[in-house]
Amino acid sequence: MTRLQRLAAGTVLAGLGVGLASGASAANICFAFQDLETEFWVAGHQAITSTLTEAGHTVIERNANEDANRQLEQVRDCIAQGVDGIILIPQDGESAVTIVAEAQDADVPIAVFNRPPSDLSKGIIVVADNATIAAQAVDFVAAKALEGAAEGEVLNAILVMGDLGDPNAVGRKDGFYAAMAKHEGRFNIIEVASQWDAATALANLEAAVTANPDIDLLFTSSDFLFPTIRSVFEPRGMWKPTGEDGHVWMAGLDGDATACQLIKDGLVDATGVQDLYFEAETSLKAILAAIESGEAQPNEVIEDPGFALTTANLGEREMDMWGCVLLADGFLDK
Amino acid sequence: MKPDAPAGVMPRPEPFPAAVPRQSLGHRATGLLFSDYFVLYLSIAYFLALVPFLPTLANPANLANLLSNMWPLLVVAVGQTFVLTIAGIDLSQGAVAGLSSVFAALLLATAAPVAVLGNAPVWGLFLSENGGLLAGIPGATWLAVAAILALGALIGLANGVAVAVLRMPAFMVTLVTMIAIAAFAIWLTQSNNIRDLPANFVALGKGTLVSLYFGAAEESQVARRALHAFVTWPMIVAITVALAAHVALNRTVFGRYVFAIGMNRNAAEISGVPVRRVIVTVFVISAVCAAIASVLYTARLETGRPTLGAGNFLLDVIGATVIGGTSLFGGKAKIVWTFFGVLFFVLLSNTLNLMNLSAFHIDMVKGGVILTAATLDVMRTRLMRDRAV
Amino acid sequence: MTALLSFKALSKDWFGVPAVSDLTLEVARGSTLGLIGENGAGKSTLMNMVGGVVTPSDGEMSWKGEAYAPRSAADAAVRGIAFIHQELNLFTNLSIAENVFIDSFPKRFGMIDRTRIREDTAALLARLELDHSPETLVAELAPGERQIVEIAKALHREADLIIFDEPTTSLTPRETARLFDVIARLKAEGRTVIYISHILSDVKMLCDEVAVLRDGRLVEAGPAEVFDVGRMIRSMIGRELAGMFPARTAAPQADVVFEAEGLGQPGVLEAVSLNVRAGEVLGLFGLMGSGRSELARVIFGLDPVERGSLRLGGRELAGGPGARIAAGLAFVTENRRDEGLMLDAPVAENMSLVAVRTFGRGPLAVLDRGAHELATERMRGEIGVRAGDIARQPVKALSGGNQQKVVIGKWLMSGPRLFILDEPTRGVDVGAKYEIYALADRLAASGAGILFISSELEELIGMCDRVMVMSRGEVTAEFAAPFDRVKILAAAFREAVA
Repeated sequence: MTRLQRLAAGTVLAGLGVGLASGASAANICFAFQDLETEFWVAGHQAITSTLTEAGHTVIERNANEDANRQLEQVRDCIAQGVDGIILIPQDGESAVTIVAEAQDADVPIAVFNRPPSDLSKGIIVVADNATIAAQAVDFVAAKALEGAAEGEVLNAILVMGDLGDPNAVGRKDGFYAAMAKHEGRFNIIEVASQWDAATALANLEAAVTANPDIDLLFTSSDFLFPTIRSVFEPRGMWKPTGEDGHVWMAGLDGDATACQLIKDGLVDATGVQDLYFEAETSLKAILAAIESGEAQPNEVIEDPGFALTTANLGEREMDMWGCVLLADGFLDK
Repeated sequence: MKPDAPAGVMPRPEPFPAAVPRQSLGHRATGLLFSDYFVLYLSIAYFLALVPFLPTLANPANLANLLSNMWPLLVVAVGQTFVLTIAGIDLSQGAVAGLSSVFAALLLATAAPVAVLGNAPVWGLFLSENGGLLAGIPGATWLAVAAILALGALIGLANGVAVAVLRMPAFMVTLVTMIAIAAFAIWLTQSNNIRDLPANFVALGKGTLVSLYFGAAEESQVARRALHAFVTWPMIVAITVALAAHVALNRTVFGRYVFAIGMNRNAAEISGVPVRRVIVTVFVISAVCAAIASVLYTARLETGRPTLGAGNFLLDVIGATVIGGTSLFGGKAKIVWTFFGVLFFVLLSNTLNLMNLSAFHIDMVKGGVILTAATLDVMRTRLMRDRAV
Repeated sequence: MTALLSFKALSKDWFGVPAVSDLTLEVARGSTLGLIGENGAGKSTLMNMVGGVVTPSDGEMSWKGEAYAPRSAADAAVRGIAFIHQELNLFTNLSIAENVFIDSFPKRFGMIDRTRIREDTAALLARLELDHSPETLVAELAPGERQIVEIAKALHREADLIIFDEPTTSLTPRETARLFDVIARLKAEGRTVIYISHILSDVKMLCDEVAVLRDGRLVEAGPAEVFDVGRMIRSMIGRELAGMFPARTAAPQADVVFEAEGLGQPGVLEAVSLNVRAGEVLGLFGLMGSGRSELARVIFGLDPVERGSLRLGGRELAGGPGARIAAGLAFVTENRRDEGLMLDAPVAENMSLVAVRTFGRGPLAVLDRGAHELATERMRGEIGVRAGDIARQPVKALSGGNQQKVVIGKWLMSGPRLFILDEPTRGVDVGAKYEIYALADRLAASGAGILFISSELEELIGMCDRVMVMSRGEVTAEFAAPFDRVKILAAAFREAVA
C-alpha cells in the first residue's frame, strides 16, 4: 500500500461526525497507529479526539513510528492503563496478529482497520476487499469502452499488476479478471508486471504498448503508477481527456490525490478506493458496541466494500475519497 | 594541563594521606552524585516525581510492562557497552537483529503462505508450504537459537577482523555491515514477515515463570488481566547475559584487556595485551548480544521481521548505554551503568506514553528529558574532574 | 624595579592536601625568574593559578599593581601572560602564520587579511631568527622550531610575561642554544620571563632571580648569583644529596642475556649488533634521530626488521610484543603518557597490566582480586610509589617521577631478563631520578640485563658499565668505563677526535 494511503487514515477520520456520538457511555479508547509524520494527521487526530471527547470518551494515542515492536509495547502500555478498547492501524499483518492476541488475552476488545492481520479470525477486523473494489472500477471503464466500440469488436485491455507476493496485488488482479469475465470475448488482455516499482512498470509498459499500439483500456493496480503511465502514453498521443480522439479508458486503485485530479481533468475515468471513512467509523462503532455489551474478545470480520470514484459520481462522492480531501487541502501544490 | 598532585618528597617515606571523607550533608549529596548508582537514583527520583500525576505508573500491570520492555534492550545495550569500552561503536546491531529474526523464522516457521513468500529467494531452499528448514524436528528451537547465535558471531567476527586487523574505523566498518546486512535480510523475504513460529520458541519472548496477583485472596476466579508477569524468560536471559557481561568486564583478565585498549591502545599493545584478539572478541560479543535480543524480540512479536532493528533501535541502544555513563571515547564503562541507562530509557518511554501527550509532543519531550539527563551527566563529570584532579 | 606579578599568602588545596601554601613572592618587571622544585613541589599548580586554569583556595595575586583573579586561560592571555608549555598548543595542520594569528585574525571586508598576516608573521619570525616562510605548515617544523612559533605567538600578543615550562625537554642541543638566544633577546626587550626547569645549570645561566619551592612552600628566593647548583639541589630536596647516582651494587656477570646480530631495516637501522650480559647496564647514546628508539622498538617486536637476529637467553626472539614479553623482555618507552600509562586508570591497574594474566584463575581467567591487591601493594612498596589508595587513585594524579616508577613497576611484575629503558628519567625531578637509577641498579644486581637509552650523557656515564653510541642507524663506537665524555660526544656527532 502506498504511504499516502496510510497517512490518509487521519484525514478521513476528520470527517467522522455525529454518527459516533451515540453508543457506550464514557470509555477509554486507545488508538494505536503505525506512523504519522505529516500535517494531514493534525486534522485527523484532532477530529477523532474531539468527536470522542464530545461524546464523553477519552482517546489515548500511540504512534509506533513504523516499529512493530514499539507498537506492541504501546498496546501493552494501553492495556496497563486499563483502557476499555483498542483501535489499531497495524504496521503489518503479521505483528497485528500478535497484538490482537495480546489485547484479547488481557480481555480488552480490539479492532483493526486499514491493513488486515494475516489471521482474520481474531478481533474485530475491518478489511477492504481488493477484488470487489477493483471490480467496481474496472466495471465502469469496461462499460464505457464497450459503449464506443463496434459490435463484436475485440478491444485491447492492459492490466498493470502489482507485486504478486503482496496479497493486495493478487486481490486487485482477481477483481480485474472478475470484471472482465462479464464481457467474455470482448477484451484481449495484456498483463504488464510492475513489481510495485515505477521503473519496472515503465519498461514493461513501453514494451507492451510498442507491441500493441492500439490500446482501449487500462487498469493499474495502484494509482501511484499514473505518472509512469502518462510518460509512456503522452508521446504516443494516448494521454487525452474523455471525448478527445485517442482517449484510453483508464481505471486505478487507491484513490490518491493525483488520481482525483486526473479524474477531474477527465484523463482517468475511475479509481477504486478503500473507504477509510467507513472503516474508521465501523471500527469505532464496533468497539463501542463491544464495550457496551461487555464483550471482551469480540471476533468479527467486517468487509469494507469500498467504492469506485468515477467521472459519473465525482460530484457526490468526491469528499469520501481521501485523495480528493488532500487535493482540496492543496496537497498537490505543496 | 595537569595540576601538580600533592605528593611527598623523598625524606618523607610515609604515603601521602588519601582524602578523608567528611560526612557533611553536602558531602553525602555529592557522594550521591558521583555514585555508580547515579542514573538509578535519577530514575527513582523521576519515577517518584511523576507517580502523583500518573497513578498508572506504579500499577502492577505497568510495572510488568516496564520490565518486559527492558530485557531485550538491555541485552543489546550490554553488547554495545563492550564495543564502546574499547572506544569503538557498533552500528550493525540493529541489522544483525533483523537478519537473526529472519533466520529464526526461516528455520522454525511451522507453515508459510506461498502467496506471500513464494517470490522470496529463500522459498524452496529454506521455506516451503510446510514451514522452515527445522520445522517439526525435535529440539528445533534450540538448534535454531544456536544457529542464530553462530550467525551473529560470524558477523561480529567480520566486523572485528576489519577493525582490528585491517585497522579500519569501527564506525565505517559497522556502517557498511549495517547497510549490507539490513538489505540482505529484506531481500531474503522480499520484505515480508514470517509468522507461525512454534510455541516453545514464542515462550522465549513472553513465557512467564512467576506471575503476581494483587487482590483479594478469596476471589475464586482471577481475571487474566489481574495477573502480572514478573519472572519471564526474557528476564532470565537478560539478567544472565548482564551478569556474565559484568563478570567478564570487571572480574576477568579479558575485561582488564578491554579497558586497557579503550584507555590507551598503544600502551596496551606495548604491555603485551593481545589487542587484535580482544577487539575481535568484543565485536563478536556485541553481535551475539544483538542476536540474543533478536530472539527475544522475534519471539515476543511471534514474527520473523527483516526490519526488526531498523529505525530508532540503534539510537535507543546507544542512547541508553551512554546515558548510563559509558563513555563514547572508551575506557569508561560498567554493566550496572548500562542496566540503569536502559531502565531510565524504558521508564522515560513508558511515562511519556502514560502522559497521554499528543503524538507530536512525545518526541519533543523525550528529547528534552534526555538533554537534561545528559547535561546533568556532563556537569557531574566536570565536577568530578575538578575534585579529583 | 616594580613588581609585575606578585603573590600574597597564596594557597591551593587538593583533597584537603595543600599543593601550594602561604606563598608570597614578587616577580619584578623585566626580570628573569628561575622557578625550581621537585615534581609535586607546587610549580605547576602555581603557574596554573597564574594562567587562570586553577582557582586559588586562599590568598591573592596582583598583576601590574592591580588585584588579579583570572577566570580562564583566555583571561590570562588577554592580560598579557603567555605560556610556553612542554606540550605545545599548536595546530600542526595550519601554517605558522595562522597559528600566530589564531585568536585574532585581522579582517578586511569581512575576509581574513592574508597579506597582513603573512607580513606581520614574517617580521616576527625575522626577529626570532626562524628561517621559515610564514606559510610553512607547523607539522613540517622540528620541536624546537615549533617552540619558537609559540614564542612568536606570545610576542604577537604583546605579552609582558612569558612563562616557559620545561621548554628544553624535547630539544636538541642546537635548538636549546637557539632558544636561549631568543630568551636573551626577550630580556633585552624588557619582557619578564619565568623559567621553570629541572636542568639547574640552565637556570643558573639564564636567570637573574631564583625561587625554590618544596612541598608547596617557598623555601628561598634571591638573586641567581648566590645560587650554585649544589645549593639549588639542597634547597629543593631539603637535604644534602651525596651524589647524583647511587653506587652500583654488583658487577656484571659473565653470561650474555641478550644478543642482537646484524639488525638491518632500510633507512632506519644498519647492521646493528650488540649484547647485554646478566647484571650489566649497557648505555646507548645517540642524538635524536640516531635510531636508538627505533632499535628499541625493533627489539621489542613493534616495528619490522628485515635482517638480523635477536636472541634472549640463547633463544631466538620472534612474534609480537606479547610473545617477547613472555620470553622475558620489558620495555619502558620514552613516551610514558602515550605508550606507558593508562592515565585515567588507578595506579594498581597500571602496575598489573603486563602481568595481569597471572592473576587469572580457572578457564575463564577470573581475576584473583586478593592476589592482585597483595601483589600491587607489594610492588608499590618495592618501587616506592607515593600515592594514596593505589586501587582507586588514577595514575594521572601522580607526579612525573612517580608515574615513571609505575611504568617500571609494571614490568617488574613479569620478572623480565632484559629491560629496555628508553629515556627513563625524562621530565622527572632530581630526587625521583635518583630513585629510578637505584631501581635500575637493583634490577641489574638481581641478574637482569639493562639496555639504558638516554640523551643525557651524564646519567649514562654515572650508571652504565658500557656505553654504545649510535648515529644515523649505525653503532659508531663502544666505550667501557672509565668514560671520556668528549670521545662519546664525538662519536655521536661522527667527528674524529684526535
